Amino acid sequence: MVSHDVLIIGAGLAGMRAAIEAARQGLNAAIVTKVHPVRSHSVAAQGGINAAIGENDSWDAHAFDTVKGSDYLGDQDAIEIMCKEAPKDILELDSMGAIFSRDEKGRIAQRPFGGAGFPRTCFAADRTGHALLHLLYEQVVKCGIGIYEEWFVLSIVIEDEKVCGIIAMDIRTGILHRLQAKAIILATGGYGRVYRNSTNALINTGDGMNLALDAGAPLMDMEFVQFHPTTLKTTGILVTEGARGEGAYLLNSIGQRFMSKYAPNALELASRDVVSRAEQQEIEEGRGIDGCVLLDLRHLGEEKIKERLPQIRSLAIDFEGIDPVKEPIPIKPGAHYSMGGIKTDLSGATKVKGLFAAGECACVSVHGANRLGGNSLLDTIVFGRRAGISASIYAKENNIKEFPDYQLKETAHSIAVITNRRQGERGSVIRDELANIMIKNVGVFRDKERLFAAKEKIKELKERYNHVYLEDKGDIFNTELLETIELKNLLTIAECIVLGAINRTESRGAHFRLDYPKRDDETWLKHTMFYKKDDEIKIDYKDVAITKHKPMERKY
Amino acid sequence: MTVKGCEPFLQAYDIDVNNGDTILDALHKIKDVQDGTLSFRRSCRSAICGSCAVNINGAPKLACKTQILPEFEKHGRLTIEPLSNFPVIKDLVVDFDSFWEKVHKIEPYLTPKESSAKTKDKDGFWIIKKQDALKIDDVSNCIFCGSCYSACNTMAVDNQFIGPAALAKVWRFAGDVREGNNKKRLAKVSEDHGIWSCSRCVECTQVCPKDVKPLIAIEDTRAKAIKAGIKDNAGVRHVESMVDSVKRTGLLDEATMTVKTLGFMRSLGIIPLGLKMEFHGKMPLPNLFKSIKGIEEVKKIYEEVEKKGSRVKAGTHPKDGWGS
Ligand SMILES: Cc1cc2nc3c(=O)[nH]c(=O)nc-3n(C[C@H](O)[C@H](O)[C@H](O)COP(=O)(O)OP(=O)(O)OC[C@H]3O[C@@H](n4cnc5c(N)ncnc54)[C@H](O)[C@@H]3O)c2cc1C
Ligand code: SF4
Ligand code: SF4
Ligand code: FES
Repeated sequence: MVSHDVLIIGAGLAGMRAAIEAARQGLNAAIVTKVHPVRSHSVAAQGGINAAIGENDSWDAHAFDTVKGSDYLGDQDAIEIMCKEAPKDILELDSMGAIFSRDEKGRIAQRPFGGAGFPRTCFAADRTGHALLHLLYEQVVKCGIGIYEEWFVLSIVIEDEKVCGIIAMDIRTGILHRLQAKAIILATGGYGRVYRNSTNALINTGDGMNLALDAGAPLMDMEFVQFHPTTLKTTGILVTEGARGEGAYLLNSIGQRFMSKYAPNALELASRDVVSRAEQQEIEEGRGIDGCVLLDLRHLGEEKIKERLPQIRSLAIDFEGIDPVKEPIPIKPGAHYSMGGIKTDLSGATKVKGLFAAGECACVSVHGANRLGGNSLLDTIVFGRRAGISASIYAKENNIKEFPDYQLKETAHSIAVITNRRQGERGSVIRDELANIMIKNVGVFRDKERLFAAKEKIKELKERYNHVYLEDKGDIFNTELLETIELKNLLTIAECIVLGAINRTESRGAHFRLDYPKRDDETWLKHTMFYKKDDEIKIDYKDVAITKHKPMERKY
Repeated sequence: MTVKGCEPFLQAYDIDVNNGDTILDALHKIKDVQDGTLSFRRSCRSAICGSCAVNINGAPKLACKTQILPEFEKHGRLTIEPLSNFPVIKDLVVDFDSFWEKVHKIEPYLTPKESSAKTKDKDGFWIIKKQDALKIDDVSNCIFCGSCYSACNTMAVDNQFIGPAALAKVWRFAGDVREGNNKKRLAKVSEDHGIWSCSRCVECTQVCPKDVKPLIAIEDTRAKAIKAGIKDNAGVRHVESMVDSVKRTGLLDEATMTVKTLGFMRSLGIIPLGLKMEFHGKMPLPNLFKSIKGIEEVKKIYEEVEKKGSRVKAGTHPKDGWGS
């Protein structure tokens, strides 16, 4: 059996950053990923990455903006670490050869982003994720780190409460393999595909979160789902906040810059939850156009649009038939980011020994109830690095453990059950029904009635999942099988989101209850914890770490 | 379609199409409703991850970016096939192994040069002027979708050719003001199957969905290699013979050029390649050129250039080159 010191699951920014760190420690590190590294969803990040590197900026100010943006649910010790370490991480990316956009003097340029008191978002035009993901891939190649490319992880194997390895399917052959490891880092990204309108890649199905739950590591704050205010009408493809950062307006059907009503100071650059709710309200009160409002870039001028937002322009032209130089773009809120995830400490460790997590699949928590734009890429780099270091330390102190045989048998059996079923329902039907109910009932605005209806629906879909059958019975590149396994993960994630949202009878950050429209610090200034026991989700609560900033009313 | 134990075949599907639907939407509709066995790669569905390139009516394109109706109206049909120049794994899924091997071979990472107060600011960040950043702006857009590799004519006859995507990546570093390893990097890609093997057919630049323009990158790299004095290879001799040919006749005599470039014996050795090229419609017919009108003009231009002591930059005009 093949064994590694540190095994990293996921080759997005968080995973590759962690792997580089483990390799630097001289360890035998390898990455397992269900798509080639550069196909990971980090590649789609557009607007940028935050760091207080400007002359008059400070990490303290960055931390305060982040705490406020999180609606005080973010853990302040973690936020401080992230903001303090950010400049050094950007410096390191720069020295590796990152292609950041520059100012007139040739220094790294920074643009304003929502919820930030200072222009502190570094960017590579509107392709920051692409620039950084390719950069880290280059570094992974340079370090000679092994990559199990197009391998799908099916389970994490635990013995005596410690990790001993994983079971993964080589997608090309359909063969299940065991990989032993002293330490494992989950960096599997988000679950955006739980929702119908989503900016996320089709591969973002929350696999790692479900793997963690099954391994005994709890999730945290799953009810907090970020809806991005500007996604394209038909495809849900993202239009970066950088567009508003560069000065774009939001208009309703009667041509008003309606944000002046909702956030008189910050206007279009209020926090994302605020802007998404404002848009949704305009639309629901009849001042939308075909379920959308308009994002107007025209006054920025052709030159600036082409230089700073070239990808946005081609996306609008190719996918919506609209040239933003000439016309405003119809946009609406769409599911975008998971504030919640696998609970980790400041070093990336989960509750299970030897199991670490970083990136969007993890929850430290630096984003609390609402993430600021540009803070997620930063999260992947800072906490990817930290998880890489602590997993390496753990690997040096622990030995490879015996890999129990029954695990492979069990996993193989669970797959055979699906592939051998002769009749039943196609998984795609269940997937679509889930995505629809989630956007309708567990979206920007929530209430008791809709949430309970969603809960019932998920229960029904979970039952129906037990009768899913496949048309593809082959071994080679059976993507129908993969989608079916992903569907199981989506169902679990959806259940966590709904249960967390039902319990939380307040409105905070991205979680807005029409029946409880106020924030309630007395009862709810705490994190929700999710555990899986006998295939049932159990909930518990945990205090928030507050250092400097006492909760205040949040105004933009 | 690929089915185990069976030669590949085309399979027809009927689907309803809405205005704005992409080829990727169509593939999903087929997979979800008609045929769960259909396999293809996809991830971002927004033209940035490079997963979904396929041949659409014979040309490599991103399935997620290509709308069905305009494509259908133009061709009157819709044939979707796996990329060319890659072995097929199943249906539309092809094997990228050798593609990635070649990308890795060019050492695809920056080897930073020594920094000074001029190149870095007081905090240690690189200082990069806009015009320098622009030099690698196009190539830095590559998403490794393989479209160019699929369309490349040299690749079709020489599977060891490093290919347009990896060569564009070479320029990503060779053209970066921060790179400190250019001499070695340029020497390496000047070897066989490298920059000089490209036949300059422009296909790569034409099919690239991200406007990377690999051919321009290849030409910039060639120019830089020559400037760095890396001339002892077939490619440079070829360019020199081209310069000579144009000077003599005002036209390119490509058949003569092959002989000059490789020496007579080896020229015989490449005849099979020549035949293969002809098969692909790329081999120029051997020609006994008469000088074109205005040859005196051409000669004068060369004399001028030589007088000034500058060197003709290898092929700055992709479409005017030989073999196109
Ligand atoms: C359109 C868009 C734009 C964004 N723009 C910005 C921005 O401008 N600034 C910002 O800060 N944030 C932005 N974000 C958020 C940010 O991009 C993501 O949160 C971040 O990139 C996540 O990185 P990651 O490394 O955690 O995961 P990912 O990049 O999603 O990588 C996940 C990896 O896990 C692997 N994986 C998953 N499941 C399995 C499995 N079962 N087996 C094996 N491998 C598996 C995948 O193959 C992949 O390699 C944006 C997000 C979106 C959707
Ligand atoms: S150069 Fe263009 S066509 Fe070739 S791999 Fe890169 S993006 Fe694709
Ligand atoms: S121009 Fe060169 S690299 Fe590009 S497709 Fe033609 S032969 Fe290949
Ligand atoms: S799916 Fe990512 S490029 Fe088409």
